[in-house]
Amino acid sequence: MNPEGKLYNKNILIAIDESENSRRAVSYVGYFLGGLPGFTATILHVVPEPEEDYFPSSAEKEKWLLQHQKKIDALLDSSRQHLIEQGFAPEAVRMRSTRRYCPSMAECILSERDETAYSTLVVGRQGISQSEEFLFGSISSKIVQHARNCTVWVVE
Amino acid sequence: MNDLTSQEAIRRMVQRWLPSYPVPAHRLHIHTDTSDFYNVDYNDVVILGQRPYLIRHNAKEGRFGLEDEVKFWVKSAVDLSNGHRKIIKLVFYERFMSHIGDIEFECFRSPKKEARILELVAGHKNFMHGHAIKDEKDNIIRILDFISGKTLAHHIGSIAMDHETYFYQQFPDIFNRFIECVEAIRFLHEHGERHGDIRRDHILIDRQTATYRWIDFDFNYRHRENIYGYDLFGLGNVLVYLAGKGDVLIPDLRGNAHPWLDIIDESDLNIVFRNRVVNLRKLYPYIPESLNRILLHFSRGSNRFYDHARQILCDLEQVRWDS
Repeated sequence: MNPEGKLYNKNILIAIDESENSRRAVSYVGYFLGGLPGFTATILHVVPEPEEDYFPSSAEKEKWLLQHQKKIDALLDSSRQHLIEQGFAPEAVRMRSTRRYCPSMAECILSERDETAYSTLVVGRQGISQSEEFLFGSISSKIVQHARNCTVWVVE
Repeated sequence: MNDLTSQEAIRRMVQRWLPSYPVPAHRLHIHTDTSDFYNVDYNDVVILGQRPYLIRHNAKEGRFGLEDEVKFWVKSAVDLSNGHRKIIKLVFYERFMSHIGDIEFECFRSPKKEARILELVAGHKNFMHGHAIKDEKDNIIRILDFISGKTLAHHIGSIAMDHETYFYQQFPDIFNRFIECVEAIRFLHEHGERHGDIRRDHILIDRQTATYRWIDFDFNYRHRENIYGYDLFGLGNVLVYLAGKGDVLIPDLRGNAHPWLDIIDESDLNIVFRNRVVNLRKLYPYIPESLNRILLHFSRGSNRFYDHARQILCDLEQVRWDS
């Protein structure tokens, strides 16, 4: 507990996807915290439940999910390996992949954070243009706006 | 094939409902499987749920001065059971990357989505109506009631008067009807659905009731963070078009060295379409500030965006309150 009476722990939740900015977020955590005692990291990927409308049949949806899951498993593995190479103990790095209905990915990530009760959430900044943010929104902006009871690192 | 769908019965029905229609002498082609929509042609008959529909022609879509594009999966037809005109949309799974300005995003057509929304909006005056039915190969066919009337884009384009006269005489009624359209989109959003392709030519003005009605909701897109963002962008574009009595385009102003060019800056332009002016009050000072504030949400100078139709609706109601 710090002097203000807030509870913090040394558990870091890193939310990733397949983007370059996610890779940077993992590298950043590894670089800053690797080798320091007491820190644990969980690498999180939320698979957005694909919309029913997107696939002509449920078989195609399942096929897509299977392929996507394989890619994500590989991504989680390589991210975990990266943190270990940077000095995290193997037992201090966990992986979490979950499938959710996600009208808003930011809300899904925050909800995962609530369930895992980590004090620090790390995401990469997408670096999208103002017009792109206007049209499709920004996950990191929304996380910053809506996060409660945790610290957010947005890695550039 | 039962009595209702035999060649003889179909010819009798065509004669009854379309007495002057030149039915070909040869045997009519009857479809119960519509998987190959190119194969469903003029004078063919499609049987859906035991009802025969005579295909008249393929629908066309004209847009923004481009030549009309034939939509081979959308057929104009007559329900031979009662003579009613119908639009029949066959299954066409299309998936592609679309661009708005320099932004790329994934779009697709979904008959399932349109079928679901048709059910949701049954009886809602601001939407097209119809129902979905499966053919023998489980293709989801949408049978739509024909709406007689022109598009909102066509209507605005045909108003021959200067902007100020239009703004005081015609716009208030148009604005009120547009608010109904936004209310209809809010209804969709609150049911977790998106229109998916909001454009000024996807609002038809029903000739019988003068109601504005949304059409064509089989389009969808892979949303990122803001599930309704693209719909809201579409609403903004339609509103700017209505308030401006058309688009004010920078290339047009440049073409005739218009003096407005001296007062317009980057922040007055559409956030995505950088050749369209959205800060219309600079050009037409009688546009109320409350309305212009909404337009500015869609400008390059904005840093506050709408997330949901109810927000824009709330601001639109305020404009009505102020006037």
